[in-house]
Amino acid sequence: MKIEKYIPLLLLGLIVWAIGLDLFGYIIPSVLFYAIGLTFVCGLGVFIYKNSLLKYTMKRIGEAFFVIFLIMTATFLLLRTIPGGPFDEEKALPPEIKANIEKKYNLDQPLLTQYALYIGQVVRGDMGESFKYVGRSVTDIIKEALPPSLLLGFYALILAFLMGIPLGLFAAARHNTWIDNLCMGFAVSGIALPNFLVATLLVLFFSLKLQVLPAALWVTPWHYILPVIALGIRPAAFIARLTRSSVLDVIQSDYIRTAKAKGLSARKVLWKHVLKNSLLPVLTFSGPLAAGIMSGSFVIEFIFAIPGLGPHLISSVSNRDYPLILGLTLLYSIMLIFANLIVDLLYTFFDPRIKLS
Amino acid sequence: MMKSNSLWQDSWVRLQKNKGAMFSMYFIILVSVLALFAGVLSPYPFDEIFDGKEFLSPNSKFWFGTDSLGRDLFSRTLYGARMSMAVGIITALISMVIGTVYGSISGWFGGRIDSIMMRFVDTLIAIPSLVLLILVKVFFDSFQLFESLEARALTGMVVALSMVGWVTLARVVRGQVLQVKELTYVEAARALGFKPAHILRKYIIPNILGPIIVLLTFQIPSNILSESFLSFIGLGLQPPYSSWGVLANDGWKAMQTYPHLIFPPGVAIFLTLLAFNLFGDGLRDALDPKMKT
Amino acid sequence: MILNKFLQYFVICLTLFSCQKKPSGEYGLDPSDTLRIAFGAEPPTLDWNKSSDTTSSSVIDNLMDGLVVFEYLDNKINLGAGLATNWEGSQKNTVWKFQIRKNVQWEDGQPFEPSQVIDGWQRLLDPKTASPYAYFLFGIQGAEDYNSGKIKDFSKVGVKLKGHELQVKLNNSMYFPYALTHTSTYPVRKDLIAKYGEDKWMQAGNFVGLGAYSLKRWDHDKVIILKANPKYYGTAPKTPNILGYIITDVNTQLNMFNAGQIDVLDSVPSVQLRELKKRSDFVEYGILSSYYFGFNTQIEPTNNPLVRRAIAHAIDRTKVTRMMAGGQKPMSGWIPEGILAHDPEAGLKFDPVKAKDLLKQAGYDESNPLPPIQLSFNTNQDHKRIIENVQSQIKKNLGVEIQVQNNEWKVYLGNLKAKPTQIYRMGWVADYPDPHNFYELMTSKSENNYTGWKSPKFDKAVVQAVSAPTDEQRLKYYKEASKLLLEEGVSVIPMFSGVAHKLIHPSVISYPMNPMSQRRLKNVSLQR
Repeated sequence: MKIEKYIPLLLLGLIVWAIGLDLFGYIIPSVLFYAIGLTFVCGLGVFIYKNSLLKYTMKRIGEAFFVIFLIMTATFLLLRTIPGGPFDEEKALPPEIKANIEKKYNLDQPLLTQYALYIGQVVRGDMGESFKYVGRSVTDIIKEALPPSLLLGFYALILAFLMGIPLGLFAAARHNTWIDNLCMGFAVSGIALPNFLVATLLVLFFSLKLQVLPAALWVTPWHYILPVIALGIRPAAFIARLTRSSVLDVIQSDYIRTAKAKGLSARKVLWKHVLKNSLLPVLTFSGPLAAGIMSGSFVIEFIFAIPGLGPHLISSVSNRDYPLILGLTLLYSIMLIFANLIVDLLYTFFDPRIKLS
Repeated sequence: MMKSNSLWQDSWVRLQKNKGAMFSMYFIILVSVLALFAGVLSPYPFDEIFDGKEFLSPNSKFWFGTDSLGRDLFSRTLYGARMSMAVGIITALISMVIGTVYGSISGWFGGRIDSIMMRFVDTLIAIPSLVLLILVKVFFDSFQLFESLEARALTGMVVALSMVGWVTLARVVRGQVLQVKELTYVEAARALGFKPAHILRKYIIPNILGPIIVLLTFQIPSNILSESFLSFIGLGLQPPYSSWGVLANDGWKAMQTYPHLIFPPGVAIFLTLLAFNLFGDGLRDALDPKMKT
Repeated sequence: MILNKFLQYFVICLTLFSCQKKPSGEYGLDPSDTLRIAFGAEPPTLDWNKSSDTTSSSVIDNLMDGLVVFEYLDNKINLGAGLATNWEGSQKNTVWKFQIRKNVQWEDGQPFEPSQVIDGWQRLLDPKTASPYAYFLFGIQGAEDYNSGKIKDFSKVGVKLKGHELQVKLNNSMYFPYALTHTSTYPVRKDLIAKYGEDKWMQAGNFVGLGAYSLKRWDHDKVIILKANPKYYGTAPKTPNILGYIITDVNTQLNMFNAGQIDVLDSVPSVQLRELKKRSDFVEYGILSSYYFGFNTQIEPTNNPLVRRAIAHAIDRTKVTRMMAGGQKPMSGWIPEGILAHDPEAGLKFDPVKAKDLLKQAGYDESNPLPPIQLSFNTNQDHKRIIENVQSQIKKNLGVEIQVQNNEWKVYLGNLKAKPTQIYRMGWVADYPDPHNFYELMTSKSENNYTGWKSPKFDKAVVQAVSAPTDEQRLKYYKEASKLLLEEGVSVIPMFSGVAHKLIHPSVISYPMNPMSQRRLKNVSLQR
């Protein structure tokens, strides 16, 4: 029995379990999140080992550490050059009180010392305490805000794939007909629609006019519908276009012609060869897409009052909540780098012609 | 030269066959003309306040109605076109120049220079763009670099978006340069001892111009979109100047009672993005039918 | 084999994950006895010694009581008994005595001790607490020194306890009970802070208060649920449950209100006021806040008082308030209506002829026009509308070009401190309903005075007004101060006083509407 065959199954099982819990009104326990993460990392590890990509991965991870260090430094410096401090408020504070506060948060130290202190803290795994939310550590804030953001992003991604791939396939299969035009018309329109416009129109129509769906909040599956649609439409349009063009590419390629010439049925060709080969670009795209959805969801989270990371990202900058901004930047950077790494690794699996060095 | 000329002509012929792209091109030209001559074409100055005429619905005097201050929405949409297009185009051009220069240098020299330069690009790409956008914009808006108010209103936005935008271009250009570098006639030119700058200008840039132009047409709408996002979270242009993003934001704030406010900027954003995307698609197919995104 | 192990692992996992049911949108509360409201932000902290924002206080005010509480009767603000039953000032109001209420219990059944008041004050003033509102007690002898670390021994601070009588000694005469209405001065339980820790004692589950409600649930960035506190010493709250969603955006709040998800909308999208006003569930009332413009009196050309006066005369406040359509009251004086020393006649009125004349006197006319003047404000839709209106008025009435400049809030505050533009906009919301709270702003050593205008005469009048024994004498001094500030100095132009706008569902009875914007919900009842 090969172990790597069961890890994807287990992973799928865990994800389905988590989604099931969420949709049927149960809180997803954090253990489950950890389990999914752990399984994923294990699977990745086995995958890397079996494909002897260990060296390459280690190199990439080493680079990632360096890049993250650079990002943290740059963000730290940029933050401190922006005028206005975390404790400047409408009602200006007396100097002695301000001094007390600055002392408490080490803001009275020289910048270099503060930087060293901060980096030291992060190395020890502590991202500090929010300036704005007294007594809440950045780690706690992220722990609380990450699940809704992840779920929103995940559902939107699923929607994007479920809508985009069939639409693209359909358009490609009926290439140069009115169906193709219709599908692509939809796709191009989807790309040209900013998601805040979609969101406002959806709220106006479904919650205020028809009163069938809630206007805001993130509680039951009913609450999920509008934000997920608003967030998912643009990626769906992207995927539809990508699928179509890559399917067309593959259909026109030599080996498919050969397959057809060999007398395989059109349907079999489409399903077996075309689909497998044409999903590669779609897959490649899903890394940046997932990252894009995660960071693009802030407007949606804002409009629908979803307690995710997006609102924190905006408000932490306007509050000059330095530890929180740095923590969120760190989180997003890691997710982005990780997503890119995974896509590069999976590339080799789907397209053995590619050699990673 | 003759050869490259006919290449462009071929592309033009191909482009003309694509009705959607041509229509989009005319639409973009129309919007650009409207934007350029907004001052002449708009019935009222964009910042003129009509007392007691706030929130009028569209009528014969105010074609798109008036906004919360009693300003003509039609005129403001025209001026908004000017600012939005300015943000889109200026940013795309800046990104293009930086990206092309950076990407060509990196791709041309290769080796250690390339890997260092690309490491920097990787760093920039890994910073969440929203954080970068907000921080850079707030930073550049905090001091006044220009005398002209219009330029001042644009600075922060353009700098922020360019900083995020050039990176993709640099990557693509580098890839293209790496490919072109290996072509026989370029190798021949190198063997003949031409200076890198010469080769770059004479052989490489013309060869990679196609992809750059295509990328440019996609950068413009994505800039316009990013601008409207930033405006939506209250980091838009400085008043009284307004872009479509600012107008859309104003419209969203009054959406429940005055829905007419959001339609002009919303439709304008939608149509313009649509036109740029269709045109970009057409251009890509025309310039290089085999090119992929 | 391995498959079996994995299955086992899987089954163990499934059983291990104790599945907790997610709360419903209503959090299992019965809508018939639950008031559903929205908070505009996540409260930064419910530690009342440390909070400094309105959201936190609006929650804390329902969980705790101060020694003294505001009572609002017939549009008058009075002080009512809270944890103190009686109080009186002596020696020209420099010494205050408070009788602390007996037989009060915290929600965990512990008795309330007078010493807990002093514990709270000591914690508030402790430099290690680093409380932004420590200055609320700076009137007390030695308090400021204790806060800045100059004295370490709290017994040297002018507070003393004799049985149930609390004695407070002040540096200067002032009406001290006002300070005790503020959340930052509420008593604390040292034992609980020690038990749960500085940062955790105010979380739901740990929190112990003695107010009308107790904290049932606090899911950060999502919801705050309050339940009536059966041990409350006052009359029991009429609505047993409060469900407060945390919704940042006003438009989203309005959507929820329209969709019936919340019962009260505490602030409305201001650009829609004109239409919302026509609704039957709309209410508006004045609050104690002012909106004003300040001049930088240190740079050209606004260092010239004539120029400042010309500009002040060139603004028609009614035009601004009419444009805003929110019922704001134009205000030429420094003190908003509803506070002692409010004077509708004070300050400089709209007078375009005089304005032009003054500008001429200052040496500017057609041949020598005033150079463009910079006016800065923080980026915000409402400010933008107001400033653009004022900009066009000054241009029309005075022929002076105003260049507006907006900055993000914190950048704006930073600039105000470092290098204010010739004109800037600012606002003030009363901490307590007394003219001193407003006049103190513009004194020489005030941190909030960005104008650079310093007048020893004005400072003196403000101090004298505080120690004046009768209202009549105080009024005399405030009149003088007002003249110095608004007519001679002209370092500021008051514009209008603030208004609160709400949408209240008809089933909600006696929702708190008061000029201090306090939200004590114990008297709210529901008719569903």
